[in-house]
Amino acid sequence: MILQGLLEVLQPMTIVLVAIGTAVGIIFGSIPGLTATMAIVMFLPVTYSMTASEGISMLMALYIGGISGGLISAILLNIPGTPSSVATCFDGKPLADKGEAGKALGTGVVFSFVGTIIGIGLLMILAPVLCDFALKFQAYEYCALAVFSLSMVIALTGHDMPKGLISAVLGALLATVGLAPIDSKPRFTFGLYQLNNGFALVVLLIGLFAIAEVMAYAETVRQKQDFTIRSNVKIKGVGFTFKEFVGQLRNAVVSALIGVGIGILPGIGGGVSCMISYTVSKNTSKRRELYGTGIMDGVVASETANNGTIGGAMIPLLSLGIPGDAATAMLLGGLQIHNVAPGPLIYEKNGVVVYAIFFAMVLSAIFMMLFMLLGMRFFVTVLKVPKNYLLPVVVVLCAIGAIGNANMIFDTYCMVGFGLMSYLLIKSKVPTVPMILGFILGPTFEQNLRRVSQLTSSDPFWNHPIFCVLIIATAFVVVFSVRANLKDAQRAQEAERQALKAGGADE
Amino acid sequence: MQNKHYKMDIIPGIVIALFSIGYLALIPSIQTFTGLGSTPLTNHFVPYLWGGSLLVLSLWIIARGFRRRKKYLAEGGSIKKTSLKDALLERREVVASFAALTLYVGLMDLVGFVIMTVLYVFAQILILTPRENWGKTYVPAAITAAVSGGLLFYVFRYLLNVLLPVGILKLFGL
Repeated sequence: MILQGLLEVLQPMTIVLVAIGTAVGIIFGSIPGLTATMAIVMFLPVTYSMTASEGISMLMALYIGGISGGLISAILLNIPGTPSSVATCFDGKPLADKGEAGKALGTGVVFSFVGTIIGIGLLMILAPVLCDFALKFQAYEYCALAVFSLSMVIALTGHDMPKGLISAVLGALLATVGLAPIDSKPRFTFGLYQLNNGFALVVLLIGLFAIAEVMAYAETVRQKQDFTIRSNVKIKGVGFTFKEFVGQLRNAVVSALIGVGIGILPGIGGGVSCMISYTVSKNTSKRRELYGTGIMDGVVASETANNGTIGGAMIPLLSLGIPGDAATAMLLGGLQIHNVAPGPLIYEKNGVVVYAIFFAMVLSAIFMMLFMLLGMRFFVTVLKVPKNYLLPVVVVLCAIGAIGNANMIFDTYCMVGFGLMSYLLIKSKVPTVPMILGFILGPTFEQNLRRVSQLTSSDPFWNHPIFCVLIIATAFVVVFSVRANLKDAQRAQEAERQALKAGGADE
Repeated sequence: MQNKHYKMDIIPGIVIALFSIGYLALIPSIQTFTGLGSTPLTNHFVPYLWGGSLLVLSLWIIARGFRRRKKYLAEGGSIKKTSLKDALLERREVVASFAALTLYVGLMDLVGFVIMTVLYVFAQILILTPRENWGKTYVPAAITAAVSGGLLFYVFRYLLNVLLPVGILKLFGL
């Protein structure tokens, strides 16, 4: 069956379709506002006339290309192409600003490949075991997981904790707009049917990053500065040394495992996995103070985790038929169109197709690395396009992405609203990144908290060891992060005092 | 300590506090489900939790801002007052960008994607270009605007089936 699956993927037509799918996925991923989900939705009808292996292989290629492509705009424009590459901006853009765009892109691409391969490896070997573990996650566990993940916000807040927390709470608060979980009663919709489904994550991201980037540039128009980035267009190999690669392996493996672990759990996804692995990598690093200034470690943590999430998300999809996010829900539709029924019997009934999917994923990962490494020299030239020409076109692409999300012009109004909010928050020194975590995790927390409130009398929390472990872990994370933040704040105050003294001495 | 530091706590703190009060005030108007299968925690609980937390956090930064202000004045600092008009003039490119963006999305449905995109891209390029360079920007800006408007509309509307509004071009059979 394994060999048959391999042979299916090695058919010339399948190879071509995987290559096309990966390239299209990368393009969708790299354009802010267009996501892997949209690529799958648009190409799903194209696969109708194909064989099961060809069609599903192409959809997998779109998925992998779509998730990986997000790093390009995250690094070059500070605008994440997809929610999965939000954390890539933190170190990717500063690295590009230092003139090392090639290194940042190379690191992102290679470790995206590493993350994808680790995810696929675990999917192939551990799918049944990991599925059993994922099934243990019920309301209690999800509630604790949301609390645990929200506690990571503290580490992302920087040295101004209250403002970071304000941002996270604002995100959670925005997520309460729309039909309430469980009872579906409308909340804060003001009678607008467009708000029944709440705000879309992709629209929030466009507002927070893309519009904010345009406004940040607009502020500098009258300053006579040279904004051309000195990028090392002469990229040697993949942009970094073998020694640097080996030095990042531990970080990559931990991040990939975090990505796979989060990918297995429905409803969490790559947007959270990249931020959690970034936070874990930062908190466990000996050079944590350098995170955010443009180091490889941050890019490795984010990109390995978000691509690891792909393999993780496929585990419940194939073994249980449970999609973890919108993209995997579309893949589920693709599987059903081609008469592949996901579930515990999938290996018996459609073994060949399942192995073909695994090999197609590996092939897509190889194509993804190949295309992106070959395209690196071209991508870096984006930095040479004058920003006054580039940014308006990016905004138009973002508007298309917002409209395409649900075919509603209304989403573009929200995009401008979020852009204005983001600008005002940035001016007030409120970090916007914690808002994304709050926005994603808020609904998970609420839905499961309310379910837990129903269960407490018949099923007390001490029957749930995973819940207890996660709550204890949350307490540790909070204490550790608060201590680290206080130290950072003291250091920042000290630096400010020194700077003032030095300024006074100069005068 | 700089003058700006406490302002960045007090003003945003007050705005966020007012926002959270408004949010909290809206919660009682949300319908709750009390039938069979309802949860002990209603759909009011979490909004109260987030709204209350936001209010507490905003009061925290307001108090911190006033503490910083007191310290700043005690250290001999003076308070500079900037009018809203001056602040907006200082950031006129930002204001113009938001105005252009608002008009772009506001009129897109009525006028159509192509025309609004051409106008927006052209205007936004000029806004982001220093005024002394406008002379040599008109032609490349017009070409960029026309090409991006037409090309993106064709690719996304006809090849990728995104429902971009046609607007008044409907009259010409588009």
